[in-house]
Amino acid sequence: MSTQRELTYLEAVRECMSQEMRVNEDVFIMGEDIGLYGGAFGVTRGMIEEFGNERVRNTPISEAAIAGAAVGAAMTGMRPIVELQFSDFITIATDQIVNQAAKNRYMFGGKGKVPLVLRTPSGSGTGAAAQHSQSLEAWMAHIPGLKVIQPSTGYDAKGLLKAAIDDDNPVIFYEHKLLYRTKGYVPEEPYSLPIGKADIKRQGTDVTIVATAIMVHKALQAAVELEKEGISVEIIDPRTLVPLDIETIIESVKKTGRVVVVHEAVKRGGFGGEIASLIAESEAFDYLDAPIKRLGGKSVPIPYNPVLEKAAIPQERDIIQAVKETVFRR
Amino acid sequence: MATAVFMPKLSMTMETGTVIQWFKQEGDHVREGDVLLEVLTDKINIEVESYSTGTLLKIYYGHDQVVPVNHVIGYVGDAGEAVPDLPPSSESNIAKDSTEAQHEQKDQQVSHFAGPITQKIRATPVARRIARENGIELGAVIGSGPNGRVQKADIELAVAAQSKSASSLAPTTAKQTEAANRRVKLDGMRKVIAERMAASAYTAPHVTLTTEADMSRVVEVRSTLLPTIEKMTGARLSYTEIIVKAVASALARHSNVNVSLKEDVIEHHESVNIGLAVAVTNGLVVPVLKQADRKGLAELTVESKRLASLAREGRLLPDDMHGGTFTISNLGMYAIDTFTPIINQPESAILGVGRIHEKPVGVAGQIVLRPMMSLSLSFDHRVMDGAPAAAFLQEIKELLEEPYQLLA
Repeated sequence: MSTQRELTYLEAVRECMSQEMRVNEDVFIMGEDIGLYGGAFGVTRGMIEEFGNERVRNTPISEAAIAGAAVGAAMTGMRPIVELQFSDFITIATDQIVNQAAKNRYMFGGKGKVPLVLRTPSGSGTGAAAQHSQSLEAWMAHIPGLKVIQPSTGYDAKGLLKAAIDDDNPVIFYEHKLLYRTKGYVPEEPYSLPIGKADIKRQGTDVTIVATAIMVHKALQAAVELEKEGISVEIIDPRTLVPLDIETIIESVKKTGRVVVVHEAVKRGGFGGEIASLIAESEAFDYLDAPIKRLGGKSVPIPYNPVLEKAAIPQERDIIQAVKETVFRR
Repeated sequence: MATAVFMPKLSMTMETGTVIQWFKQEGDHVREGDVLLEVLTDKINIEVESYSTGTLLKIYYGHDQVVPVNHVIGYVGDAGEAVPDLPPSSESNIAKDSTEAQHEQKDQQVSHFAGPITQKIRATPVARRIARENGIELGAVIGSGPNGRVQKADIELAVAAQSKSASSLAPTTAKQTEAANRRVKLDGMRKVIAERMAASAYTAPHVTLTTEADMSRVVEVRSTLLPTIEKMTGARLSYTEIIVKAVASALARHSNVNVSLKEDVIEHHESVNIGLAVAVTNGLVVPVLKQADRKGLAELTVESKRLASLAREGRLLPDDMHGGTFTISNLGMYAIDTFTPIINQPESAILGVGRIHEKPVGVAGQIVLRPMMSLSLSFDHRVMDGAPAAAFLQEIKELLEEPYQLLA
């Protein structure tokens, strides 16, 4: 098709929610200021006009109450979508998410389902400082019973959000703040992408970069630079951390023999460690021709100062450097 | 308390040393001053002595291992005393809590006298797998990765070489032929020479001037002085010393040649220190005859014989090679007439000396045979120009043609 329709990431998320709400009466949204105001980042702007304040519900400022109400609604047959203004606020909703949402289906022997989607913006880059800029996805990925999704493009966001809404289990859906304004091809008709299927964002032969969220884009830029120096980079975007499509990563590492894992979250205890370990445990080990390299944020709260904020997380040049160290040849 | 044996720092520029051999084994008794091991620096082999008396408790690095200076390479102490299994990374690690040491003592005793140390081979998993599948011994492959880590590409070369030798009757491809070539890692002296020569050739615009000197008088001088000097010193005067003397005298008069370029400063040297390029196994060293312009031929003979023999035995000390202001490279023992020597940076010129052989030359309207010797002066055009360099070379030629001036 010659004229592919382009949408921003933000519009892709909104379009998915609207399309699902049109076809399924059980789907509704709740969160702080998501009604007339349209949400902290404007994702739900205009939705209250179409769906009314019963289905686009403004809530009090209590993440614990929002999450708790959503878990209850989900267990009674609704399909709630919760918007938390900043993913940092998950800390307040942690008991409801970790102790209730994640475990109820298991503890009720499968008789209770929790078809809940918790959408929340994460990441730095907006000058929102230490309490509004974190990447805490590894915390949620650690909890059995939660699915964790981190789409890097509008196309992936729309397809994966539909899959999340259709899923009978609680899903934490991380949207990177800086990706909201990025544009790309997004089909108009509803479609679903499988949860647990990685995407090869770029083909290459010398080194595999496993990157999540905004790091996918930084890695793609780095790959263009590295290509000029004759280094061919393959980029895998897992898209969903839980379940993780480790097979696609392993196949890529078997092909390239080298791997750099990049995420914005603090490197220590980050999800990159999990990916690195899975690779090392797999049959890809015997194909490794260099140590697995991890690149992540520094162990500091995200600074308010924009220069320091940038310095705290991996940038394109850091990725280039890491790849060069990994493809070391004399 | 065990005393650490350190990789010595033998010159300002030395950063690492390579262990050549240990003369003692773990468990041997050593006395202060005993030679413990031999170490290779950039250019020389040197014997390292023990600073203490006791038992050699631990050897951390074996043959061919490269160790940064001031790193612990072993321990000497009381028999059975506890020392770390792995070399401490810095001096601070040496101090060990005594109770901790006692706890460790039992384990240590087992490993202390475990016999010859084995060097752990660094190789990537894929290199290990391909080596295993092809029956290649990892230790026999030179690693191109960090710290000599064997990588996939190294093993693939080895596999190709193996299949080449295994099926020498099979038609060979160009790649196999190439892969079968013997590969020797560029390191130690060879590496230093490679780096320095390349750096000199790339940074200094070299111009080489050549001329010939009639060596008739030098031949006379040598044969006259040889018995005297041999009687005085026991060393035989050679043409080299006379050439050194002539060059040193010329340099003293042409101070514009006795200079070094250091960044944007031209440094004029007070002393005339002549480096003599000496071929040794695997390479080349340049011991330095200090203050050569102030020494007589007898003194130069003794000194150059001493340095040459130390050079051949690989026992030159860093100080013997330090401070040169000008280098002479003599290929006179080969059938070489002229060549273009590369300047030994940071010096600014180098003299290449060819063979002495009889050639027909014109003298006062007659063609006569004379022992002629070619002189090739390479100079750094950044610091001097052709005319002064030519004047300097001419001075050398004239001194060699009238060598009695040197005795003045």
